[in-house]
Amino acid sequence: MQFELDEDRALLKQSTRELLEKEAPLSETRAVMEDTPEGFSKPFHAQLGELGYPGLLLPEDDGGMGALAFAAVLAEMGRVALPGPFLDLALGVRTLSGCDHEAAARLGERARAGEALVVMARLEDPTRSDPDAPEARFEAGRVRGTKTFVPFGAHADALLVTTREGLALVERPGAGFSATPLPTIDHAQRFAEIAIDEPAELVAEGEAAARLIEEHERLGALGASAGLLGLMERALEITVAYISEREAFGVPIGSLQVLQHRAADMLMQVESSRSAVYRAAWSEEQEPETAAYLTAVAKAWAGAAARYVCGQAIQLHGGVGYTWEYDPHIFLKRTKTLESFYGSTRAQLGRALALRQPTL
Amino acid sequence: MDLHFTPEQIAFRDEVRAWIAENLERPFSLEKRDPKHDADSLVEVRRAWQKKLHAAGYLGMGWPAEWGGRGASEADEALLQAELAAADAPQVPNFLGISLLGPALIHHGSEEQRRRFIPKMLACDEIWCQGFSEPGAGSDLASLRTRAERDGSDWRITGQKVWTTFGLWSDWIFVLARTDMDDRYGGISFFLVPIDQPGVEMRGLKQITGESEFGEVFFDGALAKGDHLVGQVGEGWRIAMTVLSYERGAASIMYPAQFDTQLDGLIRGVHEAGRAERDDVEEKLGRLVVENEVMRGNGLRTLADLAAGNAPGPESSIEKIFWSEYHQRLTDSALDLLGPQGQLVASSPSARDEVDWAYEYLWSRAGSIYSGSNEIQRNIIAKRVLRLPSGK
Ligand SMILES: Cc1cc2nc3c(=O)[nH]c(=O)nc-3n(C[C@H](O)[C@H](O)[C@H](O)COP(=O)(O)OP(=O)(O)OC[C@H]3O[C@@H](n4cnc5c(N)ncnc54)[C@H](O)[C@@H]3O)c2cc1C
Repeated sequence: MQFELDEDRALLKQSTRELLEKEAPLSETRAVMEDTPEGFSKPFHAQLGELGYPGLLLPEDDGGMGALAFAAVLAEMGRVALPGPFLDLALGVRTLSGCDHEAAARLGERARAGEALVVMARLEDPTRSDPDAPEARFEAGRVRGTKTFVPFGAHADALLVTTREGLALVERPGAGFSATPLPTIDHAQRFAEIAIDEPAELVAEGEAAARLIEEHERLGALGASAGLLGLMERALEITVAYISEREAFGVPIGSLQVLQHRAADMLMQVESSRSAVYRAAWSEEQEPETAAYLTAVAKAWAGAAARYVCGQAIQLHGGVGYTWEYDPHIFLKRTKTLESFYGSTRAQLGRALALRQPTL
Repeated sequence: MDLHFTPEQIAFRDEVRAWIAENLERPFSLEKRDPKHDADSLVEVRRAWQKKLHAAGYLGMGWPAEWGGRGASEADEALLQAELAAADAPQVPNFLGISLLGPALIHHGSEEQRRRFIPKMLACDEIWCQGFSEPGAGSDLASLRTRAERDGSDWRITGQKVWTTFGLWSDWIFVLARTDMDDRYGGISFFLVPIDQPGVEMRGLKQITGESEFGEVFFDGALAKGDHLVGQVGEGWRIAMTVLSYERGAASIMYPAQFDTQLDGLIRGVHEAGRAERDDVEEKLGRLVVENEVMRGNGLRTLADLAAGNAPGPESSIEKIFWSEYHQRLTDSALDLLGPQGQLVASSPSARDEVDWAYEYLWSRAGSIYSGSNEIQRNIIAKRVLRLPSGK
């Protein structure tokens, strides 16, 4: 038994951390999300593409590195609250590779190199963050419908649209496409509502489509959980540093027992998330029969955990924690995004209960 | 990363599972419901069970072969405990002796002490209790006042211990006593004291469950033989602290296994009550399932760290807090979800069979107090893991 990552993955984690600290540190996050129309750094995402990051979830003989590496990278991105569509793109690349279709394969090549942004459009009801059976249709070579909360829907180069008939691929959407931005509390996660009536290719149908969508949601839940882990890990570090320095009543506030116990509770949430997230990633690679269950467990846990930790990060900073200038709010906001999608916390609780099984 | 047990460990787990199926007549919760039993006869059920476990070689498995062990790893021990807990097997009467005193004797005791005490402890021919806490020294254990004075080559013990689990059924007690009233840590020594003697009075204390599983002990010049001092004079604190840290590991996957069995019972009960479809019920059960599985993940990680040779650090405080507070949430939820039926005591004919919920509900309040209260555990995490500053 061993909990640590093996050498290759540990190296990837380390080099990802260095890359992010150099090219996309937390200190840049706010500027990027405020000052760019897309809410993310296109050059940095191009760099990620050149380095092969979007292909992380591809089969290993096709350059992928598996779920553990994926989780490690997403956790690192969470530590800097990296703005942008990386998670959705990596999932898109993986889904394209699972379609037995020429157009999908061609687009997949460009997407994995960071040359095309492809995301899945799957939600239709803005009051529900968990996909229902779609109303959108694929008929006579066209896809018609409306989708909501499409991640970076206004900026994507191609969309994988869930329809009653299967998964439809729309490239370079034209006149039959409109995207209305849906600004949320998280400035760096640009959602859009889209209306679409465009020529498309049906790249997967029936069982195959259902399997791809299911896998997309499961790996999305894993990636979101890992992102949540990174967010809360950093939020706790920042908070511990702050309460160790800040003085009141002539002592560092971090010496006050109430705050010490709060921080201990935050650590419990963070470390338990780490166990749960990496265990789910490991099961994805080594024990597929438990992966759906353990991923639901990880997502349900990490969502609630991050909400607590990032909320307390604001509280323990006092007034400055409520300012735009300090970082804690960025973590709280991204937490809400990651918690809500790829299976909301509430939905994952239900899944975990339904899928409960012996795991030893 | 690798969270699989080895094939040998899995084979061992299967062997244990089969052995339990063959040897355990019925779960302890049913034993407790049997009107023929009282507190004393239940202790005998537990003693008989310990004897069986001992005969099968399942006690002290990690100890040197000489003392009944088989050089088992923490993972083997944990798998054994998980199987026993899942089956709701009786807890052995000597659990404190085996988890605390055994290691103390093996690491710090004399050859003579090991020979004299370990075999009878394992065979449950002598039951041991732990005399650390005092009325004035619980969390702040080092402020204990019970003293030991020289009497020739022997020692005389005077003072009071309290919350002494299994005291009423014990033959021996291991005691921390002061050999120096001024040296806070270095003035504490570790003694082995027979209970059946004029200078010792043991009284039961009625707990919130109505039982007297723990008690209080009064020492009035009680005799401890000179060769029943463990380690050197003044080493008691150090021995006690190292021994308390050995407790970790085995519990890692035991509690989730025990809670899984209880969750099975709860889920069945909720279905029978026709409430399973309710949205709030699904949410509550879902959360209990998730938390227990996360706890198991933490436990596997602890075992993996132990296997990699990393000593369990202060992170084990996380485990302690997690299982004890989970137990409270689980039983709280159970009594909500099962309605008033969950409050029926085991002797009531309409009480549910699968879990003694009323007892568990009350018993769950103890876990956050004993073994270092959860407040103390949070202090440990804050200071030793997060390295938060001390005040003035
Ligand atoms: C069921 C049960 C079985 C037990 N069995 C045994 C046994 O066999 N042998 C034995 O020796 N002892 C045993 N104990 C005793 C147990 O170890 C003590 O109860 C425990 O250490 C707490 O000590 P106390 O009861 O004196 O409470 P106190 O130390 O007085 O604590 C009271 C409250 O104050 C809190 N508190 C204390 N100090 C601090 C601090 N520094 N910071 C924050 N909060 C603090 C505690 O967490 C607690 O909530 C048992 C206890 C129970 C409940």
